[in-house]
Amino acid sequence: MNKRQTEYLYAAVVLIVLTAAAIVNLGYVVGHTSNIPQPENNSAVPANSSVIQVLGYQWAWQFTYSNNTTTTDVLYVTAGHEYTLQVQSRDVIHDLLIPSLGVQVYAVPDHPNQVSFEPEKAGKYIFECVEYCGEDHYLMRGYMVVSP
Amino acid sequence: MSTETMLILVGILVGVVSVAIFYVYYLVSTRIETISNVAEEEGYPDRTVFIRDSLYGKPRPLSWSILFYDDAKSIGLRYIFTGLLFMFIGGAFGVLMRISLTDPNPTIISPTIYNILLTQHATIMIYMFAIGMAMGFAYYILPSRLRLKRDNMGHLSSVAYWMWVLGGTLFVLSKSSMRWYMYPPLSLQLTPFGAGAYNWLAVIAMELIFMGMVMASVIVLKIIFIDRADDIPLSQMPVYGWAVVFTLVMLVSSAPPLMVGLGMLFYDFFNPIFFVTSTSTPLAFAILFWFWGHPIVYIAVIPFFGLMYDIITRFTETKVYSYFSAVLSLGLLLILSELVWGHHLLNSGLGVDWVIFFTTASFIVVIPSALTIFNMIATLWTAKKIRLTTPMLFVINAIFDFIIGGIMGVMLADDPINQAVHGTYFVTGHFHFIFVGLTLGVSMAAFYLLFPTFSNGRVYDERLAKWHFYITAVGSFLMSFSWAVGGFLGMPRAVAGYFAYFQPYQDSAILGGVIIGIGQLVFLYNIAKSWSTEPATDPYNILEYRTETNQVMGGGK
Repeated sequence: MNKRQTEYLYAAVVLIVLTAAAIVNLGYVVGHTSNIPQPENNSAVPANSSVIQVLGYQWAWQFTYSNNTTTTDVLYVTAGHEYTLQVQSRDVIHDLLIPSLGVQVYAVPDHPNQVSFEPEKAGKYIFECVEYCGEDHYLMRGYMVVSP
Repeated sequence: MSTETMLILVGILVGVVSVAIFYVYYLVSTRIETISNVAEEEGYPDRTVFIRDSLYGKPRPLSWSILFYDDAKSIGLRYIFTGLLFMFIGGAFGVLMRISLTDPNPTIISPTIYNILLTQHATIMIYMFAIGMAMGFAYYILPSRLRLKRDNMGHLSSVAYWMWVLGGTLFVLSKSSMRWYMYPPLSLQLTPFGAGAYNWLAVIAMELIFMGMVMASVIVLKIIFIDRADDIPLSQMPVYGWAVVFTLVMLVSSAPPLMVGLGMLFYDFFNPIFFVTSTSTPLAFAILFWFWGHPIVYIAVIPFFGLMYDIITRFTETKVYSYFSAVLSLGLLLILSELVWGHHLLNSGLGVDWVIFFTTASFIVVIPSALTIFNMIATLWTAKKIRLTTPMLFVINAIFDFIIGGIMGVMLADDPINQAVHGTYFVTGHFHFIFVGLTLGVSMAAFYLLFPTFSNGRVYDERLAKWHFYITAVGSFLMSFSWAVGGFLGMPRAVAGYFAYFQPYQDSAILGGVIIGIGQLVFLYNIAKSWSTEPATDPYNILEYRTETNQVMGGGK
């Protein structure tokens, strides 16, 4: 194999691996649009999904459920049921991350975002703000309790 | 103290200061007069042109005179050593943050101070260290490498340099805690709990840094394209020259949106209309920022790719495996890296279409990086011998770290993974692999190579330099790797405190961070010790070609 062929071969391998990765990613994004954070006003709430209003402010998360009860820094959900988070911010940009579910959505003032997820296993999981938002940014965290 | 005593003391003080100023003025003016006389005898109408012509193309050791002479090499030395100075300041901030994180609750350093350190560390390292090194090596190496015909924009370079230094200094003094993203509305909160009371100063400082960078970039581009010796066609320019061209074109083309954005942000302090909710959206600034923010991270890498090619070919005594592919991939990086900025905002509600565009583009941008690394490995592979000097060790480690950091980058391009780990230490690990391994490592490699030239023929201690390398490499791997693992479990970045659950990952990263700090102290000791020895070698160095004086002079004869 001469120099040029080695290069082409290597470029082809890189291209194939990356194309495969890009296609897998594309398949996921197209198939799971409701799990991708989107502006609230151009996406419908999926059927059978309970809406939870999320308000981020300096420095706590407030959750308002469909029965109008409110909790702060604790999120109560039930396993096997789909939820839609409608996320807003009162002051600066925040970013809600629930690492074990891979759910992440920005809380932007005046730009409500929406994302759906379905917890599968009961338990207590952490969530946190991952967009730096001032003095007590690190305290903008809490637990998501998934009841069976 | 009575008023009379006070008046007498102030009088004496003013007198002493006046005498001192007069003395300095006397020294400077006599020196200028002498130089003017010599210049006239040599046939130069202009003193400064004479100074530049008599300096350039020659090795330029470090001395205080670099602050007053405006030839390209003096400017280069200024950038390099200012960059190093800021690297130590920013590094100290980094180590302080690590120490503070030994406790999951911020008891050692208060969150306010921690957030200031966080902002300053990032800004200093990117704008002052990485850019300083990139500009410095370009100004220092390219004039002799491309055998410049003239060197006649020194004054403007000097202005650009001082603006950049002033910007960096003011940014540190502003005690800003807005993070380097500068997202409004947080950056508009002028309180210690928001962005810091003097954040308006930080915005001005950023603007100064930007103006300095853009001016210097245009001048270096002019040096490369117009002042290059006639017998060096673009097609034979060293890969390093191309790397600098691509970097600076990227800088000049992507900085203006954010410069405008910063101006609008500054206006918002007085009359909030641009990035507030009633008339616009804060995300508009985030988009302006990342349009620049993504290219800047390539600006901190591409010139160092160029230096890596240079160092590899020197120590393997061979040519670059494929010159064409080397230049092509760096050029592709320039174009593609300007199309992927949205992947920093994938979860902000851009909408599905943009998510698809930016994730796919982010996969594509990996291709030129992979080709570059392949080219470097192939050069090493086909070499007859490899001399494992300290600079070469740094470069090999840079390739290794770039591969790990790069693969983590590919993972981040995947939207489901991005949703899980964006904003966590996984991202911090990703870019610290590259910034510490590649940007810092290759800067150090080039610094060691040029040390005899900087120091007028002194030799650094090879044993200590090896220690510096091994300590830095081990520390950086430990730190970035712990972050990668912790981040994958959801450990958030940019926080002053954390869930105790993450303690093991933080602790091992702290150990790594402190080890890196110790490594840089070894470097400092080595340099200080070597500088006090007697010159022992030829001040010419392998990145510094010996230039024959066949150049056209900038003025005079």
